[in-house]
Amino acid sequence: MKKTSLALGLALMVLPRAEAAALRVVATLPELVDIAKRVGGDLVAVDGLARGVEDIHQIVMKPSFVAKLNRADAVVFLGLTAEHTFLPGLLDAAQNPALRVDHNTSACLGPGCIDCSAGVRILDKPQSLSRAQGEVHAQGNPHYNLDPRNGLIIARNIEAGFSRLDPGHAAQYKKNLAAYREELELKIAQWVKKSGPLKGLKAVSYHGDVAYLAAFTGLDFIGTIEPKPGIAPTPAHLAALVGVMKDAGAGLIVREQQYDAKTPAWLAEKTGAKIAVIGTMANSMPDTETFVKFSEKNLINLLEAR
Amino acid sequence: MRAALLPLFLVWAPLARAQPSEDRLNALEQRLSSLENARSNNATSAFNPALGAALDIAAVQTDSKATINLRAAELTLQAPIDPYLKGWIVATGSPDTVSLEEAAVRTTALPHSLSLTAGRLFASFGRLARFHDHELPVIERPRSLDTFVGGETQADGVELSYLFPTPFYLSAQAGMFNKIGADNARADNAVERPLDNFTYLGRLTAYADFGDDHSLELGASQAWTPKRIVPDAAGTETTRKNTWRTLAGIDLTYRYQPVAGGLYKGAIWSAEIMQNNERRFDAATLLPRDRVRSYAGVSYLQLKLGRRFSPGVMIDLSEDLDAPKTLTRTYTGFLSFHMSEYQRLRVSASRIDDAAAPGRRGNRLGLQWTAVLGVHTHSFKDR
Repeated sequence: MKKTSLALGLALMVLPRAEAAALRVVATLPELVDIAKRVGGDLVAVDGLARGVEDIHQIVMKPSFVAKLNRADAVVFLGLTAEHTFLPGLLDAAQNPALRVDHNTSACLGPGCIDCSAGVRILDKPQSLSRAQGEVHAQGNPHYNLDPRNGLIIARNIEAGFSRLDPGHAAQYKKNLAAYREELELKIAQWVKKSGPLKGLKAVSYHGDVAYLAAFTGLDFIGTIEPKPGIAPTPAHLAALVGVMKDAGAGLIVREQQYDAKTPAWLAEKTGAKIAVIGTMANSMPDTETFVKFSEKNLINLLEAR
Repeated sequence: MRAALLPLFLVWAPLARAQPSEDRLNALEQRLSSLENARSNNATSAFNPALGAALDIAAVQTDSKATINLRAAELTLQAPIDPYLKGWIVATGSPDTVSLEEAAVRTTALPHSLSLTAGRLFASFGRLARFHDHELPVIERPRSLDTFVGGETQADGVELSYLFPTPFYLSAQAGMFNKIGADNARADNAVERPLDNFTYLGRLTAYADFGDDHSLELGASQAWTPKRIVPDAAGTETTRKNTWRTLAGIDLTYRYQPVAGGLYKGAIWSAEIMQNNERRFDAATLLPRDRVRSYAGVSYLQLKLGRRFSPGVMIDLSEDLDAPKTLTRTYTGFLSFHMSEYQRLRVSASRIDDAAAPGRRGNRLGLQWTAVLGVHTHSFKDR
């Protein structure tokens, strides 16, 4: 009896668990979890990797993520190498044929790969590639999730991926997408009106990740606290930045919440500029667990700080 | 007259409005056509392997003497061979020699989350023993790993890896190798041998998260060599009875990684214990001696204080393989300073109680500068 119970227990542990949902999905970022749930509805079971408060380029590779990816039918990711520090390594370890990784490009190649960047108008494409430029992204700026309008493209890509993997429920995914689009388009129209006062306002950011935010709000970013992407600020660079900000009349410092507060505070003291804290992922700040709430919170923080 | 012109106007007005849209569509079609007809990147260099290198420069002072060394220039090439096979080569140049550290292929074309690696690879024994020198938390490889494993776990052979489909992380490896350990002198890679002269390896790794910030990883490894080729009194090399060897190890790693801290904040505590069980041979007479069971262990604590600073301490205890209970203790303090993502300075100070030279104690100071050129990948193994 004991042997039978033990064998049964082991079998239950090792055999893949039956899931009610048609698709088992892993999404790298909280806003992708949110949109995947909205598009997939009850037909998908969505698990996330990042919590949102991390720096997207520093997410830790946990073996528990490997176990999730090993069992997944699909992985939803931002792409453009935004997840280069963790996703290729995890996919390699997960040994899931549906989620293969190309070791030259770090791209996800299997049928379960859902790249949300397809169709996004990419900004900040580097003219040349060199480590002397700091931690540049070869394919261009990957932080397109900071422009709320790209939420529509993300949702469309997720719908296309789900419909491809689960064609039997394609009509339902399309219906869910239409409902989400309607909601998001309404919000975007409101945000466009609200963001009017930001247009043309001179600003600096900590990291060079705000091109898409600038495209949506009309903010004019004239510099970054980091001298180059991923390179910590030096005293000489900060002194020069103070001069640039004063000359341009920059009144706003945008600090992504994962970066230290001390340097922007020092810069604000020297220039008289106000600080706006923004998130670069959903759930990075309280009450921002969805793409809509995250986009809205960023806009509110910018407007309040100006 | 006006009434006659009205229908004409109604027809013309929408056409007039449509004209700019049509021009725009034509322009878009032209752009799309030029993109579709653009030649793809068909340069043969597009298939070249990704190339990276690590430079490891170290200065070490022992009591009153010092050296400065280019310890290693490690060149790595890797590329997919087909959708289910990847290959990599790691060649290391040091002041005296150039050696092939790794050269292997791994296929994932097997069913049930199995992967097979073959060639010269780092066998999955223990934790730190599988790290390249420049990836270790300290400047010099702990003596316990050098003595018990024979340096890095370099091994020529095959290794099968399996990821259990469990809700938590559980993986297993099984391997068959000529020998394990780059500096392991018990066997020669070039010599042909019967099946019972190979080394067989098994490893199991389990991992659990404790909340968002804490995790624990537990591994158990066992390497078994059924028989050894040993020279007899006449100098003839023969397979000898009762020469089986086992090297067993348990490793435990605790990580504190606050979610908001990313890769740069937190702490790692790691401990490994090894047991070597083998029949030893007298180096001078080549005569067999008694079977000896020896133990070794290494443990370290490393703090990550931010993007730049990472201090830590390590304790390494290693028994003499021929004379158990003759223990060499090494206490090391180290501080790493990451000037950027791709270069690191490290200083260390060690106190060594060397059992091989009774009554002798030594101090070693080290300074290491490591830089990474070219492709830099974040692999799961090196996390």
